Amino acid sequence: MVAEQIPSTEPSRGVPLAAMDNIRVSFGGVHAVDGVHIDVHEGEIVGLVGGNGAGKSTLMKVLAGAQPADSGEIRIDGRPVTINSPRDAKAYGIECIYQTLALADNLDAPANVFLGRELVNGVGTLDDAAMESATRKVMQRLNPRFKNFKAAVMSLSGGQRQSVAIGRAVHFNARLLIMDEPTAALGPAETAQVRELIKQLKDDGLGIFLISHDIHDVFDLSDRIGVMYHGKIVDIVEKDKVTPDDVLAMIILGKKPEEASSEELAELQI
Amino acid sequence: MSEISTPARMSPLDRLRGALSRVSQAATAGIRVADIDTRLLGMLVALVIIWVGFNIVSGGAFLTARNLWNLSVQSASIAIMATGMVLVIVSRNIDLSVGSLLGFLGYTMAMIQIFWIPDGLGVGLEQPYTWILTVLAGLLLGAVVGGLQGFVTAYGGVPSFIVTLGGLLVWRGLIFSYADGQTLAPMDSTYRLLGGGPTGSIGEWPSWIVGIIGCVVILLSLWFSRRRKRRYGFPMRPIWAEAALAIVLCGAVLGAVWVSNAYPWPANLAAQYAEDHGITPPPGGLIIPTGIAIPVLIMIVVTIVMSYIATRRRFGRNVFAMGGNPEAARLGGINTRRTLMLVFGLMGVLCAVSAAIQTARLNAAVTGLGVQNELDVISAAVIGGTSFSGGIGSIPGAVLGAVVMQSLRSGMLLLHVEAPTQDIVVGIVLVAAVGLDALLRRRRG
Amino acid sequence: MRIPRLAALGAVVTIVLAACTPGSSATSSASAGGSTGGTADCTVAVSWNNYQEERWALRDEPNIKAALEEVGAQYISADAGSSEEQQATDIENLLSQGADVLIILAQNTETILPSVQAAVDQGVPVIGYDRLIESEDALYVSFDNVRVGEMQAEAVLEQVSEGNFVIIKGNGADANSDFLRQGYVNAGVPAEGESSDTITIVGETYTDNWDPALAQTEMEQFLTENDNNVDAVLSENDGMAGGVVAALEAQGLAGQVPVSGQDGDIAALNRVALGTQTVDVWKDARELGRAAGEAAAQLCGNPDIAAVADTTTFDSPGGNTLTSILLDPIAITQDNLDVVLDADWITPEDLCQGVEAGSVAACP
Repeated sequence: MVAEQIPSTEPSRGVPLAAMDNIRVSFGGVHAVDGVHIDVHEGEIVGLVGGNGAGKSTLMKVLAGAQPADSGEIRIDGRPVTINSPRDAKAYGIECIYQTLALADNLDAPANVFLGRELVNGVGTLDDAAMESATRKVMQRLNPRFKNFKAAVMSLSGGQRQSVAIGRAVHFNARLLIMDEPTAALGPAETAQVRELIKQLKDDGLGIFLISHDIHDVFDLSDRIGVMYHGKIVDIVEKDKVTPDDVLAMIILGKKPEEASSEELAELQI
Repeated sequence: MSEISTPARMSPLDRLRGALSRVSQAATAGIRVADIDTRLLGMLVALVIIWVGFNIVSGGAFLTARNLWNLSVQSASIAIMATGMVLVIVSRNIDLSVGSLLGFLGYTMAMIQIFWIPDGLGVGLEQPYTWILTVLAGLLLGAVVGGLQGFVTAYGGVPSFIVTLGGLLVWRGLIFSYADGQTLAPMDSTYRLLGGGPTGSIGEWPSWIVGIIGCVVILLSLWFSRRRKRRYGFPMRPIWAEAALAIVLCGAVLGAVWVSNAYPWPANLAAQYAEDHGITPPPGGLIIPTGIAIPVLIMIVVTIVMSYIATRRRFGRNVFAMGGNPEAARLGGINTRRTLMLVFGLMGVLCAVSAAIQTARLNAAVTGLGVQNELDVISAAVIGGTSFSGGIGSIPGAVLGAVVMQSLRSGMLLLHVEAPTQDIVVGIVLVAAVGLDALLRRRRG
Repeated sequence: MRIPRLAALGAVVTIVLAACTPGSSATSSASAGGSTGGTADCTVAVSWNNYQEERWALRDEPNIKAALEEVGAQYISADAGSSEEQQATDIENLLSQGADVLIILAQNTETILPSVQAAVDQGVPVIGYDRLIESEDALYVSFDNVRVGEMQAEAVLEQVSEGNFVIIKGNGADANSDFLRQGYVNAGVPAEGESSDTITIVGETYTDNWDPALAQTEMEQFLTENDNNVDAVLSENDGMAGGVVAALEAQGLAGQVPVSGQDGDIAALNRVALGTQTVDVWKDARELGRAAGEAAAQLCGNPDIAAVADTTTFDSPGGNTLTSILLDPIAITQDNLDVVLDADWITPEDLCQGVEAGSVAACP
């Protein structure tokens, strides 16, 4: 009831799964994120693009509880929520796959999947067998060739490490997934595999924020694309209504194509 | 002798080498199949070499029941603290204050039993509850003081090296606020049992019972682990490996009990006992098996509990995660500050346990109690395979490390090696052990 | 995030405050006494090698201070925490604070010499306190430590004159360890590595920092090695004697094997009363403190050490002839425990704790 009164950027699709309003983060006078509005619906992939230091990762860290915002509001299912820690975010079904993967390299895959959410039995003893079993199940779906359940993840390949990080995010029935450069460290075959996986997760009804440097990745996967420039959103566009060149121009110029002068656009063509 | 080495003369040697390498390959394969911790096995082998070496050089004086029994008691205090130091170092911290903290806690516990309970409560010395009140107060104070250091480290953002370096000075200095640092003695007679000695041991049949319980626990845990693996369809050890492991582990436990029982009470104490109990001693004197010393029993219990905490509890898992990647642990939702504070609190509790053992054993609290123990404790943890880069360490390894260090010390004492030379040897062994470990780890990984 | 940080700061402050409780301050203290003659603005400095031992704060320092207060001299001090380097620094600081007389408890009998020279060069007379300083420029105020060793050995030999002896010596870098050992030789115990017709030394070792716990381990190993065939133990001080007795007790030998000690520790005198320690050579540190304080007061008026009253000469192991004040120690055994009681050194309760009434004269 309350939810209906809150305006959404896309009223036609109903209440967004998650919405961020007027988010600001500054580091010692530098505005890393400067009054950003963005949202994502169930079953939707929103790509986030922008140059280095545009504020994409910082914005997503706010949503994941890893970075406190100076001001602004976050709403889940239309209801304002307070997210002060990764634990809070996880409680709302928000999972984040960081660019660094955030794996404890000295531990094995099951321990990493359940990091901070270890399964225990009635007397509080870790149930390693149950965790390994669950990890085997989730990895069967993500990366069927994954076999190293006892090895410390530092000894695994980049793709295997990536699948452990994804496994951690999807195992806990996430509703919203934040992926920061999920394919940056991967070879072509592994990249294709991760793309398939992302599509599959979208079809499962998850909302996904996808940060990527790779404009083709973003166009291939996203429904909408948000472009950031110096901490602000330049525009959020429907993928079908723009070309990659339009998006590139926004990334570089920090303006919508119609606002840019012909000289600026001409320079980009060279 | 062998200026010229012809191929013909070399070939038997080569054949021997080949055979040796085949044997070692087979052994390596066997170990891999049996899924045994190789570095723990390596340490055990090193310990056996040290023991046999000392035994040969000392003309058989080292591997006697009495010396091994002494060794176990002498190792207990350092080993107990080393189990806590493993978690501290695994979490990428260090505690330099353990020796001073031990001194402070030991001195406080002496004050409690000699002055505060007898005079403060007006009940006098030697009450049946004196020892337990003293120990509980000591454990509590250890938790508070250790936790305080952890609090300043975790929430105050001061590196643990600095906090505990300060602690090293502060806790030692605080001893002098009690009675100007005079030697406090004697201790309560029940409390003294914590320090070992023949009367501070549990005796023959209780030792066997402890050994048999240990065996049953080993068998049950192997069986449960196997059953769980089968239920989830995980790979299992071959049954021969399982059986061999069970036999070796049980054999070790029962062997240790047998050794502790093979050390009889000293003749004088036995004669006194016979007199007190109206027993007519047989010719040759009454033989009373000593059994496991109480401080050693405490060490065993601490080792088991700390291993459980480190590997089978959420807290321990989180400590290892923090050591492997602090940022990942934080992003995973672990309360890293609280965990760190608890690690130091636990270290303080273990310092109190060791302080009780040391003061009970010496039957006195002296101002120099525990001086430089931090070096022995850190060395034991590091020889036991704890890595300063964080995230890697083993509790049983640290206990073995403490036993290795004490074996070197008491072995050299048996050989009349003077203290400075002992320090040189222990120092070289420390660096060599860590160097060898790093080398093996590089080759393996 | 703010509040925990503040709380952490509070914790630090608590530690600092705790460290500043009375009883642990040893840095400086002004005398309240009146002024007499040329000593009114005289400053006497003491460089302790390691203040953190029982006797200094309790026995020595108050009596040095008392002797200085009588003449209105100032007292300042520094603690080197068992470090030679720190002691050299301390002495520089004390001199620059305007010390007129320097009393040194030397950590190391050799490395202290440059510091002594520096003081003498500035016209500041030096008193070598308790431990020898190998310099003819320093006044040596001590108990006769060779005599202490003789007394320990004599008392033990009176009980057991032959058999297997164990010798637990103190810190190897401390000259007193060897003085005491020399005293044993004077009393008829063979030197290290030798044996006589009647006495075999089955174990002998130095003990780092005079550490009682280490002495206990050493004794355990000697007992193990000799299958308990140890007839007497010469321990150079009381702390280590405590470790030795604990090891003997574990073998049911306490009270049967004579053990020596020195320092007059409360716990050790109690052991003498109990019969587990044979002798405690008592050097009344108050006498020593008073003697040094009085000598310092005289040096305030006249910096010539030869002019100090009641000195004798002492031929040091280093071949120097030292101007000395040597006090006589007293060997305390069960027969003369009344001496320490009469001197108010120990209370009857502490002395007789756990002692069967009437078993010794001092504990009726």
